[in-house]
Amino acid sequence: MSNILEATFAVLIFPGGAFALALGLFLKGVDRKVLARLQRRVGPTLIQPLLDILKLSIKETLIPKTANELAFRMAPVLGLAGVLVTAAIMPVGGVWSGVTGLGDILVLLYLLPIPAMALMLAGCSSSSPYGALGFSREMALMFAYEMPLIATFLAVAVRVGGAGGSLFSLDAIMAYQFLHGPMLLDPVMIPAALALIIFIPGTMGSGLFDIPEAEPEVIEGPLLEYSGPLLATFHLMSAVKLVVVLELAVALLWPNPLGGSVLVNLAWHVFKCLVLLLVSVTCFRAATGRLRLDQGFAFFFKYTTPMALVSLGLATILR
Amino acid sequence: MLKLIQKLVPRSPWIYRLNAGSCNGCDVEMATTALIPRYDVERIGCKYCGSPRHADLVLISGPLNLRVREKVLRVFNEIPHPKVTIGVGACPASGGCFREGYSLEEPVDQYIPLDVIVPGCPPRPQAIIEGVVKALDVWRKRLEEDTCCRF
Ligand code: SF4
Repeated sequence: MSNILEATFAVLIFPGGAFALALGLFLKGVDRKVLARLQRRVGPTLIQPLLDILKLSIKETLIPKTANELAFRMAPVLGLAGVLVTAAIMPVGGVWSGVTGLGDILVLLYLLPIPAMALMLAGCSSSSPYGALGFSREMALMFAYEMPLIATFLAVAVRVGGAGGSLFSLDAIMAYQFLHGPMLLDPVMIPAALALIIFIPGTMGSGLFDIPEAEPEVIEGPLLEYSGPLLATFHLMSAVKLVVVLELAVALLWPNPLGGSVLVNLAWHVFKCLVLLLVSVTCFRAATGRLRLDQGFAFFFKYTTPMALVSLGLATILR
Repeated sequence: MLKLIQKLVPRSPWIYRLNAGSCNGCDVEMATTALIPRYDVERIGCKYCGSPRHADLVLISGPLNLRVREKVLRVFNEIPHPKVTIGVGACPASGGCFREGYSLEEPVDQYIPLDVIVPGCPPRPQAIIEGVVKALDVWRKRLEEDTCCRF
């Protein structure tokens, strides 16, 4: 019983739910503001993403006649629910160790593609040719960016397993890093860390990898036919997804808390997410254009995946 | 709560360009306003969107000639309520230099009510931004009194 209560709390309030939504919208606001400052303009206010959501929530919902209405309405809801559950599993160093019994990176591997799946469902149920294009692009890109993620997971797991921890458990990974120092400072893991940092813009579709939702070509692809509250749900989903991938990178690379106090640790965690956001999303987006689909695909297979594999190989040899 | 939302909502206008047969002069000016960092429409919360279903403010350019009329009206109907229209340039209001031409019966405002008109041929980017800001007031009023909201 207490397990169920704990899980509900985790999904609805602390690492998932209210906390993740607030943090996600805040991070999105920081992203837009800093991007504007990098381009020497004033930029929107920090709460702009929240204002956008509020605005969308009072707009009319239009559904194309030829769309599959059930799938069209369910896609954003499924996506949001999926990322909220994923957020509940994410541990926060020194504050929260994830829902016990679920803290397992194999479960994460199944949960992480849910937002992309929701976008695909949206794209192919909307009966729009641009939606279908966005769907196929999202799918192709997903095959590319899942590879380095899996390789990084394996590298981290093998490294931890070599030190006597149990493979594939987030708890063990955190405990290993509390003892031996963060993975980011471990020379063996540096290529995998870089691969993980490149994975973040890939999965968020920013900078070089803004391929599925490219505005000038496929006019937001899967989101093209959405309006009103359903679109707002998609924006919330992408905000929580941003939090999830940043927290994942923090948990795998540098989950170490600062001190004993819970509040200090939480602030430190948010600070790490912010730094990671600025490096991997904002500056990356400001500095780069966009690749073609085949180039984006090749980028992940030629550079990112081998980097993660190098770490995996080294970790296997040195165990 | 609703009052608060109505107060905050006009701070997030997403704009959409609708070309009703313009000479492209106005479109170039709008693209420079919306797409380059220099004039920074993002500071009032604007986002330029490619899909009419995401839009709040519609910037219409051109006189709505016979060939595109049906298509433009169809796209206009795909924009969800509440929406505000802005006529950019001399064309939408009067027909501009296409007035009394063979391709044109009546200018845009006979078919679509224009809330704000930005004069000029083409208007300067600054004028377009001022038009957008004026449209926000119209939007605010519309939210307060109108029935087109879901609430
Ligand atoms: S107002 Fe002038 S610049 Fe604008 S579309 Fe008409 S003719 Fe072209």
